[in-house]
This record gives sequence, structure tokens and C-alpha cells, in this order.
Amino acid sequence: MQLSNIRRSFGSIHALKGVDLNINHGEIIGLVGENGAGKSTLMKIMSGFDDGFEGEFLVDNVPVKLGTPQKAQEQGIAIAQQELSLIPALTVAENIFIGGDHGPTVASLGQLSKMARPFLDEVGLENVSAKTLVNRLSIGERQLVEVARLIAHKPNLLILDEPTAALGESDSNRILEMVKRLKAAGKSVIYVSHRLDEIFKITDRCIILRDGLSQDSVDTKELDTNKLVSMMLGRELHSMFPPRDFSKNNTKNKTIRFEVNSLWPDRTLVPINMKIYAGEILGLAGQLGSGSGEVLAAMAGMHDTQGGSITDCYTQENYLPKNAKQAISKGIAYGSPDRKYDGLFLGRSISENLSSPNLKGISSKGIIQPQKERPLVEDIAKSFTIDLTRLAQEASVLSGGNQQKVALGKWLSISPELILIDEPTRGVDVGARAEIYNKVREIADSGKAVVIASTDLLEISNLPDRVICFYKGCYVSELVGEEINSTNILQAITNPENILLEDAS
Amino acid sequence: MSALEYSASMSAGWLAKKITKENRVGFAILVVISIAFIYFAIATPNYLSVFNVKTIIRDAAIVGIMGIGLTFVTLSGNFFLLSMKETAALSIIVFAMGMSNDYGFIFSMLGAMSIAVLAGAFQGILIGLGGNPIIVTLGAAGILYGVASWWSDNLVIFFKRPHDAEWLGTGMVLGVPTITISFVIFAIIAELVLRKTRFGRQVYLVGANRAAGKATGHENLPMAIKTCIIASACCAFAAIAFSAQMSSAQANYFSSEFGSSGDLTILVIATVMVAGNSIMGGYGSVLRTSLGAVFISATDNLMVLQGFNSGARVLSVGLMIVLSILIFAYVRRDSRSEG
Amino acid sequence: MCAVTQGQRGKTMNLIKQKLTELDPDLLFAVILSLCVFSFFAFSNPLFFTLNAGFSIMERFAVLGLVGLALTLCIIAGEIDLSIGSNAALSAVIVVRLTDSMGAFPAIGIGVLCATLIGLAQGYLIAYLKVRAIVLTVGTLMLLRGVALFAADEKTVMLTDFRMTDFIQEKIWIFFSPASLLVILLFIIVGVFIKYTKYGREIYAIGGARKEAIASGVNLKRPMMIVFALSGFCAGMGGAIIGLRSGTAQPLALQYLLLAATVAAFIGGVNILGGKGSVIGAAVGVLTVNFLNTGLVYNVTPSYVVQIYLGVLLLIVIVFQTLSILYDKGKQRRLLLHDTALTKQKMIDAYKSVLK
Repeated sequence: MQLSNIRRSFGSIHALKGVDLNINHGEIIGLVGENGAGKSTLMKIMSGFDDGFEGEFLVDNVPVKLGTPQKAQEQGIAIAQQELSLIPALTVAENIFIGGDHGPTVASLGQLSKMARPFLDEVGLENVSAKTLVNRLSIGERQLVEVARLIAHKPNLLILDEPTAALGESDSNRILEMVKRLKAAGKSVIYVSHRLDEIFKITDRCIILRDGLSQDSVDTKELDTNKLVSMMLGRELHSMFPPRDFSKNNTKNKTIRFEVNSLWPDRTLVPINMKIYAGEILGLAGQLGSGSGEVLAAMAGMHDTQGGSITDCYTQENYLPKNAKQAISKGIAYGSPDRKYDGLFLGRSISENLSSPNLKGISSKGIIQPQKERPLVEDIAKSFTIDLTRLAQEASVLSGGNQQKVALGKWLSISPELILIDEPTRGVDVGARAEIYNKVREIADSGKAVVIASTDLLEISNLPDRVICFYKGCYVSELVGEEINSTNILQAITNPENILLEDAS
Repeated sequence: MSALEYSASMSAGWLAKKITKENRVGFAILVVISIAFIYFAIATPNYLSVFNVKTIIRDAAIVGIMGIGLTFVTLSGNFFLLSMKETAALSIIVFAMGMSNDYGFIFSMLGAMSIAVLAGAFQGILIGLGGNPIIVTLGAAGILYGVASWWSDNLVIFFKRPHDAEWLGTGMVLGVPTITISFVIFAIIAELVLRKTRFGRQVYLVGANRAAGKATGHENLPMAIKTCIIASACCAFAAIAFSAQMSSAQANYFSSEFGSSGDLTILVIATVMVAGNSIMGGYGSVLRTSLGAVFISATDNLMVLQGFNSGARVLSVGLMIVLSILIFAYVRRDSRSEG
Repeated sequence: MCAVTQGQRGKTMNLIKQKLTELDPDLLFAVILSLCVFSFFAFSNPLFFTLNAGFSIMERFAVLGLVGLALTLCIIAGEIDLSIGSNAALSAVIVVRLTDSMGAFPAIGIGVLCATLIGLAQGYLIAYLKVRAIVLTVGTLMLLRGVALFAADEKTVMLTDFRMTDFIQEKIWIFFSPASLLVILLFIIVGVFIKYTKYGREIYAIGGARKEAIASGVNLKRPMMIVFALSGFCAGMGGAIIGLRSGTAQPLALQYLLLAATVAAFIGGVNILGGKGSVIGAAVGVLTVNFLNTGLVYNVTPSYVVQIYLGVLLLIVIVFQTLSILYDKGKQRRLLLHDTALTKQKMIDAYKSVLK
């Protein structure tokens, strides 16, 4: 497959400004880039989900026009999305043949199992019966079944989007083995991942996307972590972060504001202890499922735990919220990573969104007092640079960046003492990102405690004053001041040698 | 510019803003329907008389009051209750029993209300804990109706005229039936509650996005319970008013043959949906429901005056519901999430 | 000698244990419930245990079975058809009206065809306009009633010659009649269809995991239209059977079918979230409701009390299902915690070996 000078714009947003990508038979190419660099847009174009682009798209030296995913399948291109699309209530065999015309119309489960067997073997699931219900498989096995389903379409090119994002070590290795097997069978694979160690393990070449542009492809052999990271991040983007004052990190000047004691969220291997200081931004770095996000959610009562508590060092209170209401009553604000799911009331006005966590505060005797609501909402809007004239509009009309500002800004209505944000700028354009970063710094400077979790390497290396790194459910290390840079963080969150276990000597 | 010209141009401007590109089709359909309606309205003798308009609103009252209660449930994202007519049936029996045993209006009303509140709370708890509203209320409907029939041995209960509730049943204030006034009062109070109170705001928020509601401290369980209680209480009131009118009660008063427009539960659901309240919750108002009730009543009235039989009337109400569902689904198809 | 037999016994025990764990707990619950209900009535009323009662049960099964099957399919697909009662009533009216002039079979054909087309149309609207079935069928419930009233001229329609349709009630093999045999055949056909064809699996897919199904390339329109067309077909057939059996058709009747069929579907193991259920489950559920119905009738219980029983039964099943969902969640959490403990152990072991 060959892509030349691909450009794609959505209105005024230029997602891709000129991307070149070549891949030959039997090659594995790693596609890397930061969030917002254009990876998902490119993948959608390659797999036929998007045809509103400009540029050349050749398959086997023949120009193609892929209007639908079905056409892409006909060309032999298959994509495995990050979100699994298996149907849990059906068996493995049924899932492999569902959708599309490559399966038989009438067949018993036994017949389907037989037909599915070779594909299952090819992905390394020799020990799994094709008659098993998908909901009984582990998540690693499900990922493999997803790929088996793709192979059943007999593609020549597979695009795998973050296949190991939610997997543990052994399952990730199975995926990597499977990819090598595919290469041996003459298939081409585009492997998209944030896990740079995997990129180094299996890819032949790397294509790095940055800001909608592709760098020249590099042989993986010639790359190391530093070089790769610097190619991914570039240097210009640092200006959107407010300057940090590392002299504040002198422990004598700091007061502990909150202490997290033996908090043990589900999916974490060991209980976590952390100190949170007033006036600082603490960053939790780690990949998806490493524990960084789970700790945050557990502190706000939005995630199950096996125990633990938070101590408020000003009041000496010791508690663990069990739901949002309790968290709010203790002055804890939690910005969830998925604003569309539970961060915004899209059908309601911006004003109502901004006041939603603190209805008690703006009403007396059960009646909402507009004279209390309006100033509160306007204050928040001003401080987050949301246009005041738009307050009565529905939140759904806002751009991604403005929506995020509303989703985060609403928490100011409870005058929180502890602000927890998971993925502060996911899906947010550069301009709004700068505004959000400045605001977060402002809040921290005013003496509050702020904790951020993020998988965005740029963000987590440039915003916080202190970074705690997580890896696969464990606390790895703490980086302070000058130690905080992308290389150190990346190493800590992907490299197993540095794990700190409670009973490791 | 005169005041009239000014307000006309302001409304025209407001109207023009509302007609976005997506809305164009829906709006066009609305215009066509309105024109057809106005034509028939003018063409039918006696239709636009004051007396007839009062009749229309009065006929809309009982269904309208129940619809106002149901609106709370729908706005909070809990779809609707399939047990409305059965709650009314049970309430009417309790009320009539009280009245026929000379307990007086207050006690009988309290009795009927308490039963309704209990029924509503029960369903609300099950729904709030995660039960599907359709299934839960379907089951509750069977139980409520069964109890109502059983308590009354399926007989008619009479109470003598004049009775304590005459003012409600047949009374008038300034030439307007008390029932109509109750309808208007209910509508005004309900709208005020929804717009101005903390509870009302919570209803809208939880209806708009249940997960976000949970994340900001507003759980669905108390909402489900409170809205179901409100809906059931409204059913009780409507039942009491009807009983006062008829001076009697039987468990099947609200069954198939009610109001000659067919199934009362469906009719109440229709009043909520026809004027555009979103079935998924979070958007809409009691005003829309009231308009829906009046509109349905107006259509039915028109057909009666034109001499149509009940089959045609049921058909047209059903058609109105289906069309309004389709129109609003089409108009809103972009802003809804899949599945 | 002893060792061999003990080994064999051990093996069979293991096999039995394995089969038991594979059994669907909901289906098991349904069968047990059905047996309980049956035994209760059989013991409390000697008349219940007779051959006549059996025939009566199967006759009810013919009608409720159809509607229960249709509703089961709808709920498996993640939707529900509230208009099924009205559709059946309309079909009954059409069939009874036309039988006088054109004979039973052509009338049945037309009635069933109408009902199926109505179902197909609803499926089309739900699939193409993305309206939720709950919402649409609330409207069509009323619309079809109106049409039925219209078609019946507001009256109860009656046959002029009742003998024309006696054949429907002929006893075959003691318990069965042409009607119930037909329905059983339909159950078998639909059961095979659901289990062995791609289209059947698609119905399960769009039920429990609609987003995933669409992402997998399943075309929503096809299974949706199939399900609702089937629902219409069953409604039409059910209405035809009732109409011809009694020789009359009331345009506003058959509303009780919705509650009874829903109870039957849920007893049979369907889950409101979709994606779960089976034809066998539907059959068991319908039989249970039939036992209840017939038993109560034999005990001279008025129909409104029957409704109470049905309502209570439905709520019990809902509570049981909700509890089992909670139990499942708890089990999954324990599995997860167990997994994390295992992973932790593996890591510690790996390090111990490295350190050595």
C-alpha cells in the first residue's frame, strides 16, 4: 500500500497536512505519534471509513477509492479498532463469522467451529475451543479473537490500533508473537501503539506522525527511545505550558495537604500511598490500566477499592468517598476522562452544566435562586474564557476544547480543595489546551491541591511539578523537579526493571 | 413602530432562528398540519365557539393532569409508566368506597392518594434500582388492577348526590368547570417546579445524562421514586375528579372504553410525546404536555363534530402519535447517540 | 476391581458436574418454576390433572405460544413490540370477517399477510429512522386498534356458520389440535433458524451488544425487519386462531396478551438488556403461564385475580434476574481481584528468580 501527501481537514481543523506512508508485503510498520497527531484520522482513511481526503492512495500500485469499510475489505485491508467489537453473548466461532459475507448462511455451531479452527490456531489460540462464549474469555484472549475475526476475511494488510492497550504482560506477548507469525505468512501489518518497547520489538520500520505531518520512515534498528520521543514531540509545542518554578519543590516550604493511605483500587497490584502538597500539581503517569487513572477515580468514589483512605491534613479527617455526592461534600472534584459519557449534560445549557455539582449552593429552601446562580456561573465562565453570551446555549454546540472547559469548569462551583483530573485535554485543540493548562496552574498557585493523570507524554512531562509513575498496577517511581522529562517518564512507565514491590529486596 | 408591529417582527426573527437547516422538513410538516387543522376548524360549524373551546379543554383535563404527572417521569429519563390507568382504577375504587361510606371528601381523597403514592413509590424503587420501567410497570399494572377489581368485587360503587366532592365533579368557578381550573393550576405548578426548583433541575439533569448526573452527585434512585410518586398522585387526582363527576366508581372505568378514544394509558403517553418531549429525557416541559393534551382533545372534538365514529377517532389519535414520533425522530436524528 | 468402578463413578460424576455448570441457570429456574406451578395445581385440584385440562392447556399454548415467541425474539433483539395485542386483534377481525365470504384458509392467509406486513413496516421504521421500538409501538398500539375498530365497524364481528371453523379445535393425539400442532412446528422452525443461520445470530448480536454488532459489520436493518416481521406474523396467526376458534372477534380485545406473553418471555430466560434467551425457554415460559392460567380457571378464579398472579410472577422474575446480575458482577469482581493477585505473585516469582 502506498499513501502520498494525504491531506484531510474538518472545517478549519487540519487533521492531516501531508502524510506519506509506504508498506510492502510481509512488512511490519510501527505508526507512532502523540494524541492529536492524526493517527486515528489516518487509520480511518486507510480502512475505508473516511474518503473525504486529498492525496494519492495506491494498493498494489493501483489507485483506489474506498468509500466504505466493505470496499476496504475487498481490497484486503482490515482494521482492528481499539474498542473491541466482539459480541459477548455469542461464541467465538459465531463472532468470527458474523457480519460480512465470508461466513456461511446456514451452519451449525459445530460446523462453524471447524471453519474457525485454522484462524484461531493462526493467532495462537490453539487451546481455546471455538464453542466458548466470548464473555468467558480473558481480555487478552478476546483481543486475539478479534484479530482472528479479521484474518477470516483473508486480508493482506492488517491495521492494529493499540492492540495491547488493555492487556497484561503475557497477553501482550501473545499478540506480539501473533504479529510475527502474520509477517512470516507474508501479510503486512501496521502496528499503532503508545508502547514504544513493543514497537522496538517487532517492527521493521517506523513512521512518526507529528501535528498532521509524517516524518520520513526510519528503520527501527536505527532508533532508540530518546530519538523516537524527540521525533514524536518536537520542540515548538512547549510554549503552551505555563512555566514551572522548581524551587518550590524544596521540601521545607511545602505543606502536606492530603495523604493517600493504602488506597487499593481494583486492578492495582498493591495499595498505593501518596502525599499531596498544597499549591502543587502532582502528575500520575502511566499507560492505560497501569493504575494511574484508577487511583484518581477511587479517590473520588468512582471506582471500587479493597480499602484505603484519604486524610485531610488540615482537618485531620480520614475518609474514603463511596460516591460522587460524598466526594463533593468533602470538597473533592473529579474530572472524568470521558466527558461525553459523564462529564457533560449535552442537551442542557452551559449555565446549567456549570452549576450542576452544586445545586444546593445556589438554592435556598429547595428553590433555585437566579441571583446566586448567575454570578457563580459567570465567574466560572470568565475564568475559563468561555464566552459569556453563549451561556444559555446547549453544551452540545461547543467545540471539543470549550466542552472540556465546561466539563472541568463546573467543578469550580463547589469550591473544591482537592482537584483530580483524568486526561485534562483529551480531544482538545492546542489553543484550548493552553488555556486549560494556565487555569490549572492558577488553581494550584492559589493553594489548592491538584492531581492530574494523563497518558499524553507531552502533557505529563511539562505540566506537573512532581510525577509519580505507574506500571501495570504498581507504583514505580517518583520524579521531582528537573528529573521530569519525557524520556525518564517513558522509561518508568514501560520498563519493568524499575518496579518497586513492597516485598522486593 | 407600533407595539404590534414590533412584537410581530421579534417573533418572526425568533421563528426564523428556530428554522435551521435540519429543522426545515419538520417545520414544513408542522406548518402543513397547522394549516389543515385551521381549515377544518373553520369549516366545522360550532367548532370555534367559546362553549366548544371550553368543552375541549375540559375534556383534556383529566388526561392532561395525568399527563403532567407522567411528564416528570419521562423528563427524568425513566421513559413512562404503563400502569397509569390501573393506578387510577385503584384510586377511584378507594375514593368511592370512602365516599359511599360517608367518610367525606378529605378522608376519601387522602385514602386514594396514599394508595397511589405507595404504588408509585414501589414502582419507583424497582425502577431506580435498575429495573426496566416498561416491564416493572407492566407487572405493577396487572397487580393494581387486580387488587382494584378484587376489593370492589368488580361492582359499581355509588355514592349519593349531592356529595362532598360536587365542587370538583360538576362545580364551576366563574363559568369555568373546576376540573379545567385544576388542570390549569396543575400545569402552572408543575412547570414552576420544573423550572425553578432544585428538584426540577435535578429531573432535567438526570434525564439528560444519567452517568453525568451520578458523577455530579444526583442519583437516579431518588429521582425515580419521586417522579413515580408524582405521576401516581396525579393519576389519583384525575381519578377522584372523574369519580366526583360520575358520582360512582368501578374498577373498569378507565379500561378500554374510556373517553371513546381508546386506551387511557396510551392516551396519556400520547399527550406527553405528541408535543415534542424527548422520550430519552432531559428535554421538554409540562407546557408541551398540556398543549399535547389540548391538541388531542381538539382533534377528537373535531372528529366528533364531523360525525366520525369511534374507530376513526382512535385511528386518528394513534396516527397523530405515530406521526409525531416519526417527525421528532427525524428532526432530532443528528443529535441523538446510537442505541 | 473396586478401583476401576470407583474411577468410572468419578468420571460420570465429573461429567454430570460439567453438564450442570454448562446449564443456563435461567432455563433451569424456568423449568423448576414450571414444574412447581404444575404440581401446585395438580395437587390442589383433581380436575387439573385430566386429559381435558391438558387439551385446554395446549389450546392456550397455541395462542400465547405465538405471542410469547414473538415477544421473546423482540426482546432478544433488544427491542419490544407493544403493539402485538392490537395487531392480533386486527388480524382476528379481518379473518372472521372474510371467512364467511371466502372460506377459512384464504381468510387466514390474508389476515396473517396483513399482520406480517404491518410488522415489517414497523421494523423498517425502527431500523431506518432509528426510532426506539418502545416509542413507536406505543403509537402503533393505538393506531392498530383504530384500524381494527374501523374494520369491524365498531361491533363484535361474528361468523355466520360456526361449523366452518370447527376443524381448528379437532382433537389430535388427545392433547393437540391443528392449531397447537402448527404452533409447535413454528417453534421448531424458528428455533432452528435462530440457532443455525447467520440471520438468527445477527438477532442475538444486535440485542446484547448493538454497538459492537454494528462495528462488526452487521447491518442493523436486516435482523430488525426480520424480527418485527416475525412478530407481525405471530400476532396475525394468533389472532386468526382465536378468531376462528371462538367464531367471534372483538376489535378491542387481546390486550391481556401483552402482559401474559411478557411474563412468559421473562420466565423463559430472556433478559431485558437483550442478547439472551432461547426458543425452548420461550416454550417453557409459555407453558408455565398456561399452567397458571388454566389452573386458576379450574379453581374458578376471576380474570382480574389472574392478572394479579401474573403481575406478581413478573416482578418475581425481574427481581430474580436483577439479583443474578448483581451476583454476576460480584463474581466478576472476585475474578478480577483473583487475577490481580495472581499477576502480582507471578511478578514476585519472576524477580526472585532474577535476583538469585
